[in-house]
Amino acid sequence: MAFVATAARLIRGRGGRSPLRPFLCVLCASLSALCSAPASAQKANISGLSDLTFTSVNFSGVDASMNQDICVYSSTFPEKYQITASGSGTGGSFTLASGSDTLVYQVQWNSSPGQASGTPLSAGVPLAGQSSSASQKTCNSGPATSASLIVTIPFSAVDAATAGNYSGTLSLTVIPE
Amino acid sequence: MTALLSRSAVAILLATALTNQALATPTQGTLGSTSTGVITINASVPNRIQISGLSDVSLLNQDPTVNAVSTQTLCVWSNTSTHGYNVTATGSSTAGSGFNLASTAGTVPYAVNWTDAKATSAALTSGTNKIGFKSTATSPTCSSGPAAAEALKVTVLSTDLQTMQAATTYTGTLTLVVPPE
Repeated sequence: MAFVATAARLIRGRGGRSPLRPFLCVLCASLSALCSAPASAQKANISGLSDLTFTSVNFSGVDASMNQDICVYSSTFPEKYQITASGSGTGGSFTLASGSDTLVYQVQWNSSPGQASGTPLSAGVPLAGQSSSASQKTCNSGPATSASLIVTIPFSAVDAATAGNYSGTLSLTVIPE
Repeated sequence: MTALLSRSAVAILLATALTNQALATPTQGTLGSTSTGVITINASVPNRIQISGLSDVSLLNQDPTVNAVSTQTLCVWSNTSTHGYNVTATGSSTAGSGFNLASTAGTVPYAVNWTDAKATSAALTSGTNKIGFKSTATSPTCSSGPAAAEALKVTVLSTDLQTMQAATTYTGTLTLVVPPE
């Protein structure tokens, strides 16, 4: 009881102002930082990416498609993330270039590996609510991959394209949720 | 001084190497509040060309005092940067020279004329490559984009019609080859 009274005095102090107030402020700030730490410490990683080379494209037939299994890790619980893809075309569009000529391609995402189809992505538009099975940031342990990236060049785009060698980059950004 | 130059050279080389490294793909992401990876996508579109929309030609019961003419519109698609192409037309009959239709009663010549989508027109000679045509097609069979716009014209002159035997069918095939240009 005496301890409580002493503590109350220390906190209240003379005239209601506690001599411990500066320390309490620091303590509160630290606790606040600790409490908010999990939110700011949420992290994600995308790895295991490979360049894609279409050795053949199709005219007036079936679309040409390539897919690769990659690793996306999210430290959140549950392990959620959002993915945003952006091409090197005008305004981030999904186009390959050969000089001034362009070749359109499409991008799909699947949050499971080994998939040949997924949810179509629009350039620069996040696809939220994706789940990761990765247990390590580069999938060095646990599942070796956790998602599928599918890139398709429609035959209609090939039909309309001028002959040539086309190239472009695709950026993939993951954000933990 | 030598050492200084060497250090400068090494610095430049390192800077160049780092710059090149930054452009290299694939680029793997790093663990953080956002993580970005980059890949390069390459694709090659080879030269291709297609002729389509062809129809057989029937010149039946022709008035021998008037030239018999058949004109058809067809599609030539070329994906070269100029959309250019050549035409080689070859008749099936080996009788005489040029294009001929054949029957048990003999042969009759005909003429072939080609006009491209840009209105470039030329008389064709059997087996001879004619260059300088251009297409406007953007799909191999003109199923989308500009409609078929190449014209194939087959003509049997009235003077030749008058040499033909009545009630006799003269026939032959015409082969059209269109290499891209």
